[in-house]
Amino acid sequence: MMTAVVLAAMLGGVWLAAKYRENGSQAILLPDQVMTLFPAPKPLEAFAFTDHENRVFDLSRLKGKWSFLFFGYTHCPDVCPTTLAVLARTHEEIVKSTVGAKDVQFVFISVDPNRDTAGKLEQYVTYFDPTFLGVTGNNAQLGNLAGQLGAAYEVAITPGTDNYPVYHTAAVFLVDPRARYHAVFAPPLDAEAISKRFKVLRELEGPEAT
Amino acid sequence: MRWRHPVLIGLMWALTSVAAAAEEAGVSIRDAWVREAPPGATMMAGYMVLKNNTPRSQVLVAARSSGFGTVMIHRTVVKGGLTGMEHAPKIELLPNASLLFEPGGYHLMLLNPKRALHAGDRVDINLEFLGGLVIPVAYEVRK
Repeated sequence: MMTAVVLAAMLGGVWLAAKYRENGSQAILLPDQVMTLFPAPKPLEAFAFTDHENRVFDLSRLKGKWSFLFFGYTHCPDVCPTTLAVLARTHEEIVKSTVGAKDVQFVFISVDPNRDTAGKLEQYVTYFDPTFLGVTGNNAQLGNLAGQLGAAYEVAITPGTDNYPVYHTAAVFLVDPRARYHAVFAPPLDAEAISKRFKVLRELEGPEAT
Repeated sequence: MRWRHPVLIGLMWALTSVAAAAEEAGVSIRDAWVREAPPGATMMAGYMVLKNNTPRSQVLVAARSSGFGTVMIHRTVVKGGLTGMEHAPKIELLPNASLLFEPGGYHLMLLNPKRALHAGDRVDINLEFLGGLVIPVAYEVRK
């Protein structure tokens, strides 16, 4: 029997992805203002960060898991805590699904390595969810991955003050288990909206994605 | 000149009472909250809904609290795809209008909390308006 999964048809206009699975079910994800899905996901190239446990976080760490990536910094009172709280709830929603969340990771990428040491990142990200990862790297590496995802940031380091402005892309990027840039969630972010779409996408991609 | 102090105190008390009366009729605040922050965080944000009950504009010019090193009125803005914050030196509340301080928009930036704040705690912040109106607001810390 053909079943169609149709999401948020209200705002979209173009079919972005349609995929037929062997079991005959047809699932369709429509574009909307929450998620932009790339019909031809873009394989990411090598990069090198360090995570909050001082381990190397490189391309290989994105393989075998769906990764939600968010660029930010810990001295960020509004957007970053709001987003991380949304992602923590997104994680909870995915945990509740039949497949669970073992194949999912959430990675906070600090664009402010000057202030965000591994210790600070650990305190920060694990407060929102003990499974969250905090990573950072030098400017070349941050620029490298940001560029591959179409993200950007600006850090206006001001000598003599620990309070300087940082500007960053506030979207959440989704990388699939083959380390391909697969989708992006645009703010305002909502846990239910994101998790619903993610669960359908994961179902659509099936084991092929891994 | 010691004798002047009671007079000054009396005057200040009178002015405070006037301000308190104006607050009732002037600007009301509800849903005032501060997001609980990770341990060691030096930055927090406060949110609320302001309602101008008067037929005149009211201009919010400052926020102060003894609970933080600095309190600033900020707005999260998106410029050329980049999200950042900018200082809002004054915010006009139009006559009889409401204004939201909410995540992703206007917020009170609370720098260097003097003590660790946890969900359920209360934080007092004074909102100062052009013309001298000062409204003390209790913010609830929420997760």
